[in-house]
Amino acid sequence: MTAAHPLLSVRDLTVTVEDGDTPRTLLDTVSLDLNRGEILGLVGESGSGKSLFCRSLVGLLPSRSLKRTGGAVLLDGQDIAGASAVELQAIRGARIGMIFQNPTSHLDPVMRIGDQITEGIRFHQGLGGVEARTAALEIMAQVGFTDPPRQFSNYAHEFSGGMRQRAMIAIALACNPEILIADEPTTALDVTIQAQILTLLLEIRKARGLSIILITHDLGVVAQTCDRIAVMRHGRLIEVGEKRRILSAPAEAYTQALIASHPSMPAEVAPGRSPQSEIVSPRPRALVEIDDLHVRFPVGGGLLSRRKTFSAVGGVSLQILPGETVGIVGESGSGKSTLARAMLGLTPLSEGHVTFDGHSLSLKRAETLKALHSQAAMVFQDPYNSLNPRLTIGETLAEVLRVHRKVPDAAINARVGELLDLVELDRSFAARKPRSLSGGQCQRAGIARALAVEPRLIVADECIAALDVTIQAQIVALFRKLVATMELTLVFIAHDLAVVRSLCQRVVVMHHGRIVEEGPSDRVFSAPSQAYTANLIAAIPDIDPDRPLSGAPLSSPLTKGQPA
Amino acid sequence: MHRYRFILTRPLQFLPVIFGVSIITFVLVRLIPGDPARVLLGARATPTAIANVRAQFGLDEPIWMQYFYFLQNLLKGEMGKSITYKIDVLPLIATRIEPTLALVFSAVLLSVLIAVPLAALAARNHGRPVDHLVRVVSTFGIGFPPFWVALMLILLLAVAFPVLPVSGYGSTLGDKLVHLILPSLTIALSLSTVLMRSLRAAIVEWLKSDVATAARARGMPESIVFWRHVLPNAVAPTINLLAVNIGWLIGGTVVVESVFALPGMGQLLVRAIFSRDYMVVQGVAMVFACATVLVNFLADIATVAADPRVKL
Amino acid sequence: MSAAALKSRPATLVTGLAILGAFVLVALLAPLIAPYDPIYQDAAARLQPPSFAHPFGTDNFGRDILSRVLYGARIDLQIALIGVAFPLVIGTVIGAFAGFFGGLIDTALMRLIDIILAFPFLVLMLSIIAILGPGLTSFYIAMALVGWVSYARLIRAQILVLKNSDYAMAAVSLGFSRLRILFRHLLPNAVAGSLVFSMSDAVLVLLSGAAISYLGLGVQPPMAEWGVMVAEGQSFVTQAWWITLFPGLSIVVLAFGFSMIGDALGELMGVNE
Repeated sequence: MTAAHPLLSVRDLTVTVEDGDTPRTLLDTVSLDLNRGEILGLVGESGSGKSLFCRSLVGLLPSRSLKRTGGAVLLDGQDIAGASAVELQAIRGARIGMIFQNPTSHLDPVMRIGDQITEGIRFHQGLGGVEARTAALEIMAQVGFTDPPRQFSNYAHEFSGGMRQRAMIAIALACNPEILIADEPTTALDVTIQAQILTLLLEIRKARGLSIILITHDLGVVAQTCDRIAVMRHGRLIEVGEKRRILSAPAEAYTQALIASHPSMPAEVAPGRSPQSEIVSPRPRALVEIDDLHVRFPVGGGLLSRRKTFSAVGGVSLQILPGETVGIVGESGSGKSTLARAMLGLTPLSEGHVTFDGHSLSLKRAETLKALHSQAAMVFQDPYNSLNPRLTIGETLAEVLRVHRKVPDAAINARVGELLDLVELDRSFAARKPRSLSGGQCQRAGIARALAVEPRLIVADECIAALDVTIQAQIVALFRKLVATMELTLVFIAHDLAVVRSLCQRVVVMHHGRIVEEGPSDRVFSAPSQAYTANLIAAIPDIDPDRPLSGAPLSSPLTKGQPA
Repeated sequence: MHRYRFILTRPLQFLPVIFGVSIITFVLVRLIPGDPARVLLGARATPTAIANVRAQFGLDEPIWMQYFYFLQNLLKGEMGKSITYKIDVLPLIATRIEPTLALVFSAVLLSVLIAVPLAALAARNHGRPVDHLVRVVSTFGIGFPPFWVALMLILLLAVAFPVLPVSGYGSTLGDKLVHLILPSLTIALSLSTVLMRSLRAAIVEWLKSDVATAARARGMPESIVFWRHVLPNAVAPTINLLAVNIGWLIGGTVVVESVFALPGMGQLLVRAIFSRDYMVVQGVAMVFACATVLVNFLADIATVAADPRVKL
Repeated sequence: MSAAALKSRPATLVTGLAILGAFVLVALLAPLIAPYDPIYQDAAARLQPPSFAHPFGTDNFGRDILSRVLYGARIDLQIALIGVAFPLVIGTVIGAFAGFFGGLIDTALMRLIDIILAFPFLVLMLSIIAILGPGLTSFYIAMALVGWVSYARLIRAQILVLKNSDYAMAAVSLGFSRLRILFRHLLPNAVAGSLVFSMSDAVLVLLSGAAISYLGLGVQPPMAEWGVMVAEGQSFVTQAWWITLFPGLSIVVLAFGFSMIGDALGELMGVNE
């Protein structure tokens, strides 16, 4: 075998769907090569066809109405596009392995992890039970399981998200493939875990000479891990090339837009009015004042067992000044959403105080809630779940106006129109229901609803997490405009530090229900004083390939030295 | 294993339910207008019998004391005497448990034997004619009235196979089994349709699931995907459905036992209602309720065994 | 697959509605279209097999089976309608309040539901009817006392889920009143599931009503009701199969209609959710 031809060569791959009268093309003559030992980043937004492309390589089309209508897939020179089911079975797993975005749904919940790993070994390599087990234990150790003999018998739900992804990788590696297709393998994970998994993939590539196709929507991930980049949009491959070339000099407008909307750490300070934290003028009274707040939830416990509590927020003190834009960041489970809800009186406080505009929630609850209802509003994460599916956008907005008597009844329609203008939605959207809207449009409607009360405070809880990057950038731009043009205090909760840095003047870092660090964004991000914050920042895959990803602290035996 | 610890603790949670069941059965009979002693003993009761019942159940005392006596008697295993059979209610019911239990058991077994292969066949041919056929037939089957199906089976089978008995219950094991064929088939024909629909939907769902895709992506042939990944996952919700339907199933036995004159608890209940033998009605309802609670408990154990994620 | 689903969904709905509509029409027009008086006994025409004069044959009293089946539609449709409507309304109200307000009342109601569900459905129905005495009214009362439980559980579970939805949270944060949140935002989204369920419940109610009448505890002879008719034909089943076949088939077809509507609604709602 010579390296004269690429390991995998795709020529004019075309996939069409026939569910209506007219067939639609989902993949349009895509041609792409994967070289030996290379990591190829396949980038695109949802619906670009990048996942479908990879699945169609091994004949795993998600529905019978999808058909490969043309093109060739050459694996080591042999065309597998027209291969029979049996031939494809011998290729899947054994030569081309796959890992997926959501390990929770892709791992069999009722089968032990070890059995899922040995399944492929036994089938493809014909090993017996004992030998397969030995092989599986070895692979589990390689991908970073700490106690393989015990963890062999555990079920998927007994592991954390990161460990589940390691299990998926172990299952894929067990069959010893030449090519690994990783479909958004880190999208569902926290950044520090993402960094660990990406590092693991790099190590595996090195140790095994594996070729990897890494599908992702995050250009940062690509910049950190890949050799070449392919950009897909609307089922077409629009640009492909060496990583640095694409990132520094993208030829296509769409690629330029993708790069521009990547929320990578900007060097400049977040734009905004003059930072309030300067101690020149007398400090204005805080709009929100949180003092030693604890929020605990009961967990488990029943008739016979003792009731236990889980502390979501444990002793947080925070002041938010009028007109400020504050970002709250932290990984999942850090208590940032609970803090947001407590701030608005949406969840009972266990201890401590929340004061809004001088009204204390724990002392004068009714009065404070009244103030909060009319002067504060929230924007939620899931754009579809945050709007009542039975009401049109117009009805939703009109209801808020009517309940709060913001405008006379006759003026409601006009005001609804103004609100839609504010969030840059066409006025015709008033007559539409959430289901017929895109995620970004729904989120704009959600923001319009928040604006309808003419709030002084908006709390946005992970409101861009569910959106594509270009849409994220638009929503962030919208917030920036609103903050700049209205008397608005914004509390912006996100796990994406880069977005927070670009939007917020001040940032609060949370971990395990406590504030570990807070301060002006530029200071916290450029010179974090806490190790946790530093780790968190270092784990963000930067779009600049020369700012390398920080290594994973608890990595596999393959890691010799820790990257700085 | 700690996941199975509920087997020890759960029965304690049954106590309030059983307690509630006893209140309802008590209240039911006390709601009948007229003198409770006369209601319980029938029109031809002797004055001494009435006096005895009054004393035993404290019928002259306030209602909560009466309930206390009822409970006290219940704990002693006394639920009064049947006015038609002239014996204590509990021993009477005890003689009727076996046919009902045998009927329920054979009906469930038969339903599973019918439902699983057909559901698998339909699901694996999702969207093809076989699938549509199974779906339409099972949708029809849900609407089969058991008493009517019983008669149709008699018409079709007993005429063609005259050896099949159409009423009563045997004395030897073989004889009993033969007598159970038509009754259990009757119940199975409607129960299996419910199971089939649920199982088919679950299998279709799991065949499209990420778990199946992942298995295919590592080169597993369709047979392994189905038997090792799809079926084990699809079975769990069906066990649950079976448990939910067990009340409906037992209700079905009442009717079917009446059609086939099978001397079980259901037939006893219907006859007791006609003869206004309220002590028996009360007793049968109570025993049926306890049995349902027990069956649900067994279903919980099966669910925990089928799905390692479930914690009770 | 999706193409087939798109085509099959309206077909299912149309079939179901057509069947139900046909039965409603028959029930309304029974006096006009029935060839004979359903309780008229013609001693000369006993146990006649289906013929031109008696398309479904006659029973042992010489009554025309076709006419009895047509009139039976009036009773059996009424059974399904009333037997579903009362539990649906009672259960929805109870379930909505229990789920929304929670607390002690909710706990107490859930325990009550556990206790009612501990009884096999038909056993509890029969026991209540035993107390009230046989008859259709007793059946409806028993149905209302027992049937609400499923709806209450369904609605309560839905309300509990929706209560935690972001749009409920948004409504709370905007200071909407609790009743507004419950009735405008939660309940309209919660009832979809129980409307779908009400169709399969209609099948269960229909079968229970017919079974109870078959046992002699529901509709009383000589009134024409399908369960009663099956019971009347039982002794003659091997000689005069038509007495039992046609009323039973009517139950099956009507039940099929309800099931089809339920399936179609379920898919429609499922697609929408």
